[in-house]
Amino acid sequence: MTTEPDQHPVNSLDDVVHQRVRLGILTVARQARRVEFGFLRTTLGLTAGNLSQHLTVLEKAGLVHIEKGYEGKRARTWLSLTPAGDRALRDEVAQLKRLIEQIEQGGWPVAT
Amino acid sequence: MTDASVPSPSSPREVLSSLGELTRRVRSAQRGTWFPLLLFGVLTLGGILVDRLTFTLQTVTCSPAPGSADIAPASCTLARQGSPVYWTLGVALAYGATAYFYVRQARSRGVGSPVRPYVIAGAALLALVAATTFWATRHGVPAPRTPIDFLGLHLDPASEFTQFLERFTGEAATIGLPLLVLAWAERNRALLSFALAYLLVELAPISTGWAGISATSPWSGLPRLALPAGFLLLGALGFALAQRARQRDAS
Repeated sequence: MTTEPDQHPVNSLDDVVHQRVRLGILTVARQARRVEFGFLRTTLGLTAGNLSQHLTVLEKAGLVHIEKGYEGKRARTWLSLTPAGDRALRDEVAQLKRLIEQIEQGGWPVAT
Repeated sequence: MTDASVPSPSSPREVLSSLGELTRRVRSAQRGTWFPLLLFGVLTLGGILVDRLTFTLQTVTCSPAPGSADIAPASCTLARQGSPVYWTLGVALAYGATAYFYVRQARSRGVGSPVRPYVIAGAALLALVAATTFWATRHGVPAPRTPIDFLGLHLDPASEFTQFLERFTGEAATIGLPLLVLAWAERNRALLSFALAYLLVELAPISTGWAGISATSPWSGLPRLALPAGFLLLGALGFALAQRARQRDAS
């Protein structure tokens, strides 16, 4: 995601990534390298259904890779960030930091 | 905040802060710092016993002391102790066990493990130190006041620099430096401070005199090893208690 120099940071936020829960999923997956569905659900305080919906959105956008398997007799779902997901998260955090800077500098100048 | 919301002045900061909190929770779930510290503490304690069991005294001929009127070779007592095999094998096994422990613990908690750079750094430094140690063993222990020829360097065994190198190519390199890598991999500031303090303990010229143990005593290795062993074991206890407290807070 590239940003025009005079574009307001709000316009550069990606709707898929910017949603609070999905941003949380990407953050946890980036730090954990590989994260299990149950850990995500507990850490983010979500129901299994709600988490699944968000994972489907992220998977369709190519931001996460989902792996299903078994450990003993227990079914386990693991997810990891794709390179695109890693990039999208970095961009999102950079835009949020820019936004904070803009707010602290007293807002975006209005063109006349 | 929803998909379509326009951030209010405080919300981007709140979002970043909540992401920071999530990152901290994942890091906490990935850590198992107490385990390698415990293993290395026990290994260092075992080193005291190995030093005791391998202790030998030899009488060798050596050059006269500088400034001495004598020109005839003198007779010196040489104390040998320690086993390179014990340290090489013990440290290698400790890294293997640490890798297994970290991966298993991380998997059971549902996260990936950050241990790989630590184990790779540990194994690489261990190989380097083992090669140096076996080279030194093959060339025999130098007699006092006889310079050591190491890779073209003529090192005086009694010099501060040689003694520092000797301490550095021991547990400081095989245990201490990889701990710095683990601190970086875990983003663990407490471990960084601990590793730096451990390196200081390892690199400090600890003699046996203050403990009232002569250099020719079979227990002369005791002060040199007991201090880092105690430090590592106390560290293991501290990190285990801190981890337990964090888990209790999280649940």
